Amino acid sequence: MPETRLRKLFNPWKSSSVNERPWEPTELRPRNRHPFRLCYLPICAAILLAVAIVGILALPAGASPQEALQDAANPDYRPFPIVGSRVAMWVVAQLHLMFAAFVLAVPMFALIIEIIGYVTKDKRYDDLAYEFTKLLSVSFSFTATLGAMLTFMLFILYPRVATYMVSIFSWTFFPYVFLFFLEALFLYSYYYGWGKFSPKVHLALGVCLNIVGTAIMFIADAWLTFMNTPNGISETGALVSLPDAINNFIWMPINIHRLIANMAFGGSIAAAYGAYKFLGAKTEEEKAHYDWMGYIGNFIAISALLPLPFAGYYLGKEIYAYSQSLGITLMGGTFSWLFIIQAILIGNLFLAANYYLWVSMERIEGAERFRRFIKYLLASVTITFIVWATPHSLVATVEEARQMGGAHHPMLGVLGVMSAKNTAVNVMILTTYISFLLYRRGNKEAIVPWAKTGNRVQFAIFAVTILFVIFLGVYGYFVEARVRIALSVPQVLAVLTAMISVTAIDIFMFKNAKKTGEIKWGQMPDRAQYALFFIALTFAWTMGLMGYVRAGMRQHWHVFGVLQDTSPDAFTPTLGFASNVISVTVLIFFLFISIVFWLSGLSGKKPWEPKAVDAVRSAESVGTERAVEAPE
Amino acid sequence: MNIVVLLAIAAGLIALRFLKPNSLAWSSATWVAVYVFLRYGVVPPVPASVLTMFMFIITLSLAVYLTTTEDRLKEVSNAFVSFFTDKKYTIPLVVALIGLPFIVAFRVYQNLTQLPDPPVVGRTIHPPPPATITFKGRQVDLVDEDNPYRELETSDPTAFAEHVSNGRLVYYQNCVKCHGDNMVGDGLFARGFNPIPANFQDPTTIAMLQESYLFWRIAKGAPGLPVESTPWSSAMPAWETFLSEEDIWDVILFMYDFTDQRPRAKEVHE
Amino acid sequence: MKSSLKIFGFVIVVLAFYSYVGNTVPQKITYPPESADLSADMTPDELAIAGADIVAGKGTCLGCHTVGSRDSGLRFPDLGGIATKASTRIAGMSALEYLAHSLYEPNEFIVDGFLAGMPAINRPPIGLTDDEIKAVIAYLQSLGGTPSVTLATDVGYVTEVSAIAPAPSGGATLGAGLDGPGVFTTYLCNTCHSIDSPDPLVGPSLFDVGSRLSKAEIYEAVMEPDATLAEGFPGGVMLTTLNALGFYQKVSPEELRALVNYLADQQGN
Repeated sequence: MPETRLRKLFNPWKSSSVNERPWEPTELRPRNRHPFRLCYLPICAAILLAVAIVGILALPAGASPQEALQDAANPDYRPFPIVGSRVAMWVVAQLHLMFAAFVLAVPMFALIIEIIGYVTKDKRYDDLAYEFTKLLSVSFSFTATLGAMLTFMLFILYPRVATYMVSIFSWTFFPYVFLFFLEALFLYSYYYGWGKFSPKVHLALGVCLNIVGTAIMFIADAWLTFMNTPNGISETGALVSLPDAINNFIWMPINIHRLIANMAFGGSIAAAYGAYKFLGAKTEEEKAHYDWMGYIGNFIAISALLPLPFAGYYLGKEIYAYSQSLGITLMGGTFSWLFIIQAILIGNLFLAANYYLWVSMERIEGAERFRRFIKYLLASVTITFIVWATPHSLVATVEEARQMGGAHHPMLGVLGVMSAKNTAVNVMILTTYISFLLYRRGNKEAIVPWAKTGNRVQFAIFAVTILFVIFLGVYGYFVEARVRIALSVPQVLAVLTAMISVTAIDIFMFKNAKKTGEIKWGQMPDRAQYALFFIALTFAWTMGLMGYVRAGMRQHWHVFGVLQDTSPDAFTPTLGFASNVISVTVLIFFLFISIVFWLSGLSGKKPWEPKAVDAVRSAESVGTERAVEAPE
Repeated sequence: MNIVVLLAIAAGLIALRFLKPNSLAWSSATWVAVYVFLRYGVVPPVPASVLTMFMFIITLSLAVYLTTTEDRLKEVSNAFVSFFTDKKYTIPLVVALIGLPFIVAFRVYQNLTQLPDPPVVGRTIHPPPPATITFKGRQVDLVDEDNPYRELETSDPTAFAEHVSNGRLVYYQNCVKCHGDNMVGDGLFARGFNPIPANFQDPTTIAMLQESYLFWRIAKGAPGLPVESTPWSSAMPAWETFLSEEDIWDVILFMYDFTDQRPRAKEVHE
Repeated sequence: MKSSLKIFGFVIVVLAFYSYVGNTVPQKITYPPESADLSADMTPDELAIAGADIVAGKGTCLGCHTVGSRDSGLRFPDLGGIATKASTRIAGMSALEYLAHSLYEPNEFIVDGFLAGMPAINRPPIGLTDDEIKAVIAYLQSLGGTPSVTLATDVGYVTEVSAIAPAPSGGATLGAGLDGPGVFTTYLCNTCHSIDSPDPLVGPSLFDVGSRLSKAEIYEAVMEPDATLAEGFPGGVMLTTLNALGFYQKVSPEELRALVNYLADQQGN
């Protein structure tokens, strides 16, 4: 060991250093050179301070009673028994949304149906509109109750999030409440004032009801879209501009998407109501009425469903525009399998919608001509369904993966990409449209002189559109991403153009067309009614799923990139767990809505009388449920 | 796609047409045809998970097909009713009623006795090469350097032939045991390995790689594989310890010469 | 009533079916990202390995980018061999500068044929710390090259910590109550002093320092390295290095004590 020269130094491990040498400051070491005993002081102080800080942070109760009180009053999160805060919030929010969607959608098509009734002077339409409206009043109360519950739960379970959201949107809550008052006013005057005002005044009430309802939704959308794509705030999260925060990237897309989706959802629930009444109907008249009601509801639902994917593209595009990584999380990352489930749901929807139309053709005299096309339409729906549901990365066992030489199948890989799926969904929409066109023509025969040419032109439009759509889909494989993404726009435009132009031709061609037979309303098999239930359930489930992904794509953020989720629920659960929650939510919703159905049936019930044993139940009691369901 | 299976399915369906079957039989036949096509007609086979989903969709649309019109529904329900009530179907009915639970039980047994699969690990077969490697202390630039003897092919064919014949010697002394006599990766030891030795006759191996890439793989072998290619799951030795630089370039020349392939050209940087 | 029960049964069946579908797809729970364990003593190679984890995990890079994919029509640039490409992408920019630039200001230089849209990696939502980004750079350098970055490398960018978004703590942060070995590695002592073998590196081996020096002597040797020099080693090196690392400013008394105790425990064997 080399000889070392030890300089005497003030050193905590050296006992006699006090007398040896006075402390000398050195510029190299400004802090850690101290006389022996004194040097313990800063160490002790530092330890005390550290303990105090850690104590305050980790054990709020241990610091001081006052602080403890304050901290207990302002926790970041509070627990919810058994299911936990997240699932509780999730279910209540989803139920609120479903009821709200129903309450916003019904006035829209009730008004449209009422207008049709007013223009055509057909009393049937007016009655139908009133019957839809009857469902509203109870649903409105349910919506408001669930909304209040949602708000309370937000403030109780997620105080930090609620405080932050209030700090951004404080000024939007007042008009929201005010509009809610107006909504109640218009809704009840629209409902109770049925037939009590001049038709024009009543229609004006309906218009006001819809405007107010839409405004309410727009305000609420601002809050939730802000959480996904926050805007108008500084880097530290403080509010800079309220208009910017409201008009964030996906505010408008969500507004549009929800407006259309509400129509589809509301229509399907109304159709389910018709189906429910149909299955319990005793007389032919009732059956005919509710068959027709189910048909109208389903027609609204499917008409709104057709443009929905396009609104979805717009929404997706804006999400990507806001943040590429948010978009990728949504479509390619954690949630890519969710969109396979969605494809199965939408595929089922289209299949069921087509099925309903095809079965409906059974009750149209003269529609037998079109039966032979069903096979091909079905083949088209099936193939596009398969393409749409093909996953990009496959679940394969080791043996299978070895045979494929990786996780990608050479054939399925081709089908699993966006080019193929966009093409498939466009063709699927066109097929459904053709099914509807055939249904519409069921009992009609065009007598205009240019009927043959018209048919040929329509056929040519379809052929060209489908070829064009498929060509663009195939072309997409040969170009780079930038071009490929843009290709979906001409595809969508081509399909829309085709549908509009064919409809225009059809309207003129079948003006005063010869009737080959009657539509025998009520002569529907029960299975078609179950198809309506299936559609309503699938819509509700899809809504639950998409609601989940819209909220879930923020992953561990309350407000994406601004306010982090530090609760125990910050993780993203499995899709299976989410599916179970959604199923339970949908079940609760359907139990609630059956209460609504039952309540709205009460108003048509006969007054209670003692000993009404031999009371004759009149057949005119359309919409009375007890009469319908009472055992003979 | 397997053409033979495809033709067999088509022939079967056409033959069925002549029997004039009812809707139920026709639908069942379609179901079976689609299943056979997806199961055996597609190469490589469709994974079971996807197959299940596809068959579910097919089942659904066939159910739709059978129940759209009243006539067809009646045809189907009559077939079922007669199967359950007709005297002449007694024996098949008994067989079906006894057999079905057995099939279900057998499936359960199969599922329960299945050995657990190891997780699938994605393996990059041709990882990107490093820009430079150190070969016996010398820095070899894999981007710009090329086979130094390749130019002899045109300038000095005799010298080139010498290099190729030296390469032949190197190949049959070292490589043949795994990569095989005909370079298809079926040498004596090949069966013991996973992944199996590369098949150089396959146009997706050496034909789409540059010579410098081959030099890297031969010199550094499995131990030099980057992480994404999971080193050690390949049995290729690092030949830099056994062969000289010239030997390696020579054997590369021989590999292309023997398989009648050309190395991938260098990409020109603008 | 019978039809109501039938409908109820139908509802249950349909919902159960959708639950079943939801449970057949791959089930994966995504947890909030955890900060990687990075320490200042990591060699570039070790850093590259840690970087690979960040790239696959917290950085979520592989959501968009591929490594070594030969598919045509990729939506984002492939990262295979990026180290080679990075040096030639922008004239006058070294590979290191280009990589750092691409991570901190990703939308300035866009590779031909691709769209802008990558988020700045040091900002939320991804919000990697500067140290984590260095690990990512080391990993990228390993793709087709040799990593050269350590946590001490200056890549030309420093992120200011935002006030509201709680910046995830970057693993072993300096001054955070380290133990003896922690201090020893955090302040890079181990790059010059070997601790588990008697072979000296740049400075003398500390393999058996506990048997050679008392705690007091160790303390002095740390606080005033040039006061007593081991024979055969130059003076000034350790003092300059420790000053450059800010050791004397940052190290807390407890840490210093832990370090001295740790070194005193090195008795050889």
